[in-house]
Formats: sequence, structure tokens, C-alpha cells
Amino acid sequence: MMQRTCLVFGLIIFFCVGPGTSSKAQDAQAIVQAGFDYWRGKASAAVVEMVIHRPDWERPMTIEAWTEGRSDSLIVIIAPSKDKGNGTLKRGKEMWMYNPKVNRVIKIPPSMMSQAWMGSDFSNNDLAKSDSILDDYTHTLVDTETHEDKKVYVIKSMPKPAAPVVWGMQRLKIREDHILLQEEFYDEDLTLVKAMTGSQIQMMGGRLFPTVWRMQKADVEDEYTELTYRELEFRDDLPDNLFTLSNLRNPRR
Amino acid sequence: MSMDLTMAWRNIWRHPRRAVLTMAAIAFATVLLVFMLSWQFGSYDTMINAAVKVHTGHLQVQAAGYHEQQDMHLVVSDPTAVTRILEGIPDVTAHTARATAFSLVSSKERTYGVAVRGIDPVRETQVTTLKQLIREGHYFTEGDTNAALVGGLLAKNLRVGVGDELVLLGQGRDGSIAATVVRVKGIFRYGQDEFDRNFIYLPLPYFQEVYSMRGAVHEVVALCVSLEAVPRVKRAVAAGLKTIDEENKLVVLDWMELMPGLIQSIKMDLISGFIFYIILIVVVAFSILNTFLMVIFERTREFGVFMALGTTPGRLTRLLLFESTTLTLLGTALGILAGSLVTWYFQVHGIVISGTSEMLRQYGLPERMYPQLSPLSIAVGAGLVLIITLVTALYPALKVRRLRPVEAMRAV
Repeated sequence: MMQRTCLVFGLIIFFCVGPGTSSKAQDAQAIVQAGFDYWRGKASAAVVEMVIHRPDWERPMTIEAWTEGRSDSLIVIIAPSKDKGNGTLKRGKEMWMYNPKVNRVIKIPPSMMSQAWMGSDFSNNDLAKSDSILDDYTHTLVDTETHEDKKVYVIKSMPKPAAPVVWGMQRLKIREDHILLQEEFYDEDLTLVKAMTGSQIQMMGGRLFPTVWRMQKADVEDEYTELTYRELEFRDDLPDNLFTLSNLRNPRR
Repeated sequence: MSMDLTMAWRNIWRHPRRAVLTMAAIAFATVLLVFMLSWQFGSYDTMINAAVKVHTGHLQVQAAGYHEQQDMHLVVSDPTAVTRILEGIPDVTAHTARATAFSLVSSKERTYGVAVRGIDPVRETQVTTLKQLIREGHYFTEGDTNAALVGGLLAKNLRVGVGDELVLLGQGRDGSIAATVVRVKGIFRYGQDEFDRNFIYLPLPYFQEVYSMRGAVHEVVALCVSLEAVPRVKRAVAAGLKTIDEENKLVVLDWMELMPGLIQSIKMDLISGFIFYIILIVVVAFSILNTFLMVIFERTREFGVFMALGTTPGRLTRLLLFESTTLTLLGTALGILAGSLVTWYFQVHGIVISGTSEMLRQYGLPERMYPQLSPLSIAVGAGLVLIITLVTALYPALKVRRLRPVEAMRAV
């Protein structure tokens, strides 16, 4: 769940600011930056429902998530009761997981970063590298569309030459009011691997926000992970001790 | 006709030493081929039987698609129904059930992603050699709960020894978080990095509890009396599987489907063996060609006289073919006899290639290897030699037809 939340945060980050007067690349960079900041805010607290859907089964979970700045997040599972208290802490590019049953914190090793988070369609990398879109990619504005009478920027993001990235290309759709609508992930051969799409844009936490996010693999129709925001609040800051390992063990809300 | 045969027989023994040497060359090639092929087939049987006892067994029953995808939701939900089928087949000597999940395993210092496998502590020892591969600590005893067997390289990477604690964190069959603390009971070493670095074994009942398997497993493994029985047993199991009601479609896979690499390496070895045999046979064929060409040069005058007296070229060809066939048949017969005796001796006593036992043991192979004499290994070797030598002898036999009587009689 935590990973999913992180992904969502990452997506939110992609929201863009209105275009400036400078070159197209700078425009696109600014659009992405503004989108990302709009999505995450300075700090946020949310309750999200996550559903992993597969052709023969479905699994709902509820998670509580906090974010601060561009890279820190804490995600704790609150339902189902069997998994209550499991948490994921992300600080910088590092991740830890906590399980209350064995009362241990485990740091996710680099070799496991591409694995699915909690069996969802989000990988650990999706969470840990959520802000790498800002630093590791160059953005180009390739097209514009309209969505609900508003202009939508289609942005192609190619990784910088030496950047430690997972994807060969990303494509972002960001509305002129900074709302991220879609993020597509392509591999090195530029074939679509998976796509995250936001929908049901509503007022939440004081701003317009897509309250439903779906991460869908490109080649399978009936497999996806869906996130629905139940509560969302943007704040100026959160307590300093929130994003610490000791808080991962004993969450103080 | 019978006069021709008599003449052929006498002609052969006009040069006893040459006849014996030619036959010896043919016999030697046959002995070598019979022995080498028996050795190859024998070592394949040993390799396959050792390989299936490391891990896969002769046959496995799995949910369709599990072998390719390793998706933990593709389960055999009622293993006892499958077990009942296996127990009804007399050629099945042992069987066991296993379940596998991918998890994070963490010691105090390090964390790795590994395959965690639940095994039946008692039945596993009847199917695989795992118990003998425990190098430190002990194998499971029945009723063990949070005990684990860890691969040697993994234990080194995690910096744990026998008695240390490991935390497992993964996902159960129902999607819930599976977490537990286990104690290292033993450390195994297969000598194959893939296993030694990536596997942890838990007792199956405990695994099923931790990973919420609700009694399900991922593979039911069976061992048969012999390799030859495998196709028969496979058909019987497949027929039996149709009668049981399962939520996933079940399939039965044999060792060739489970370990495609093994059958490929066997094919490679066979092909490189055959290249060597062809070279050997070509050398023998040249020595035979030499013998028969010599015959023609030596006896050109004799053939000229025959023809002048009215012998047809066809009859001369036949005479020469009788000679070569007799030689070849005698040579191969001798070769088969000697080859079978040599092979049989080693089949009883076995062969130890000094210095390799350490390497073989790592792969779970016995240090003493046995060739396997079979109608196939005899027929293929002898047949190849026979065909190639007969074809070689055709050339001089046909060449004789081009002789002109007058010129031939004048030849020196």
C-alpha cells in the first residue's frame, strides 16, 4: 500500500504550472515541476483505499499516508485488520518496511527495488524514485489536448544520459491547472509497460484533485491496482519525527 | 555361386596377415563405438537420475502455467487427491509436495530477496538428496515449526550461522502480509550457486500457515522406478487428474519439461560424440579402401586372365564384394563380441576417473560411473562401421569392370 501511495504522490508531482515565455523545454520542465508540487503540496496527509484487481481475485486495503517535500513519505496499513500496522517509510531514495507481527524493520535492498510492492502493480521503485522524474529526465512538450474544456499538455520525458532510471521514456499528461491526468511508463525499446491514469477530479484538501488513480499493465486487460482517496489534507509542514524509523515502528498520528 | 564364395574365402587368406590386420581395424572401431556409446548412454542415465534427485523428481503435478509464471496463486488446492492418484500407480516409488513464495529475508545486517520453499520433512528425503547435502547443523525433524534450512552462499551473504534468527517478509496466498521469524537449523550446499544463493526451506505445514496457503501446495513431485517408466506413469497421472475436481487446471510435467537445459546438454554431448565417431570411422574406411585397392593392383594380371577366359565383369565384381563383405562381417562380429565383453566388464565393476570425484559429488553424482550395454548402443556402433566399410569396398569392386583383358594381362 505504501508503495502505491508513493506512486500516487509521484504522479501528483507531475502537475504543471502554466507555461512561461521561455523555450519549450523550459516550459515543459516548469509544467512538470508545478504539477509535481501541486500534487504533493508542501506536506500532505491522506487516507487511501487500494484495490488490487486480478481476473480471479481482488484484494482491498486501506492505507494512511503522509508526505513531506518531494521525497519523504510514510505509509501505514490500517485495514484489513490482519495486516494493520505494516508500514513503509521512504526517505530520499531509501525504503524500509516494518511488520508489527515480527516487530522488525527491514531495509529494502537494491535488488528488490523492481519487485511489486505488496503484490500490487506498483513496484518499490515506483515509490522510491517518485521524484526522479524531476531530476533525471528532460521534458519536451509534444502535443496539447483538451479535457473538460481545459488545455492538457502532453509531455515526453526522456532520461538524462547517465541518470540511474528504470524507464526508457515516460509520457505525462498534465492539465493547465496543474492536475496530472496520466503517466505512461515505457521500457528501453519504447514499448508501453504500464500506465497510471487519474480520474474523478474533485475538490479535496482545498484543491482540485483526481481522487481515483489506476495503475494498469499494458499487456493485460483485467489486471490493475486502483487507489481511491477517502481523505486528503494539505499542510505547510508535518512534525519532524514523523519520517523516522522509530515512528515507523510506533506510528504517532 | 558357392564356387565364388569358396574362391573369395581362399583369396582372403592368400595374405593372412593383411586379412587379420584389416579385420582388426574394423573390429577395433566397432569395439570403440560400442563401448563409447554404452558409456554415453550410461552416463546420461546416471546424470538424469542424479539431476532429478537434486530437485525436480521425474514428474511434477502443478497448476497449468505455474512452471512458467511461478505465480503463487496457481496452486494445487487439494494435494491429497493428487497423492491418492500417485499412490495408485505401482511404478511411482516416492512422492512429496512443495510450496514456494518469494520473500525478503533479513538478518541483523543484511536483506535479500529469495525463494522460500515449504517441504515435507519426511517425504522430501525419499525423493531428493537434500538431507545428505546439509553441511552444517541438522535437517528438519517431524514437527519442526519455525526452523529453516539456508543455502550456503545465502548464509554467507546474510552473515548467519546455525542457530541465528532470520526475518521473512513476503506476501501470503490471500494477499496478506506474511511475516515470521525463523531460526537457522541447517545449511545446505548443492554446489550449484543458483540453489545455494537463492533458497530457504521451511517445513511445509509451517510454510502453509505463514503464507496462508489453506492447505494448498504448488507442486506434487513424484519419483518413478526407472527412466523408462516415466512416459507410462505420466499418461496414468494425466488420466487420473481428469477425474478430480480442482479450482485450477492441473498438468503433469516430466523431467524433460522441468529441466529443458539437461536434455539440451545431453543432445550437445551426443552430437560432439558423433563427430568424433565419424572421424574414427573415416580413418578405418581409408584403411579398408587401401586394402582392396591393393588387391586390384596386385591381381590385375589375374583378372585379365579371368576375363580372357570368358569371366564376365559382373562376376568379378561379385567375387570382390564377397571378399570385402566377408572381411567386414567377420571384423564387426569380432568387434561386437569384444566390445560387449569389455563394456559388460565395466558395467559390472564401474569406472572411476581419478580426480573428478570431488566435482561429481558437487553435482550429486556418484563417483563410480557405469556404461549401459543396450541393443541400441551395439546396433548403432556396429551398424555405422558396417555400412561405411561396405560402401568403401564398392569403389574397387566397380573399378574392376573397367579393365581391358589384353592390357590387364600385360600389367606388372
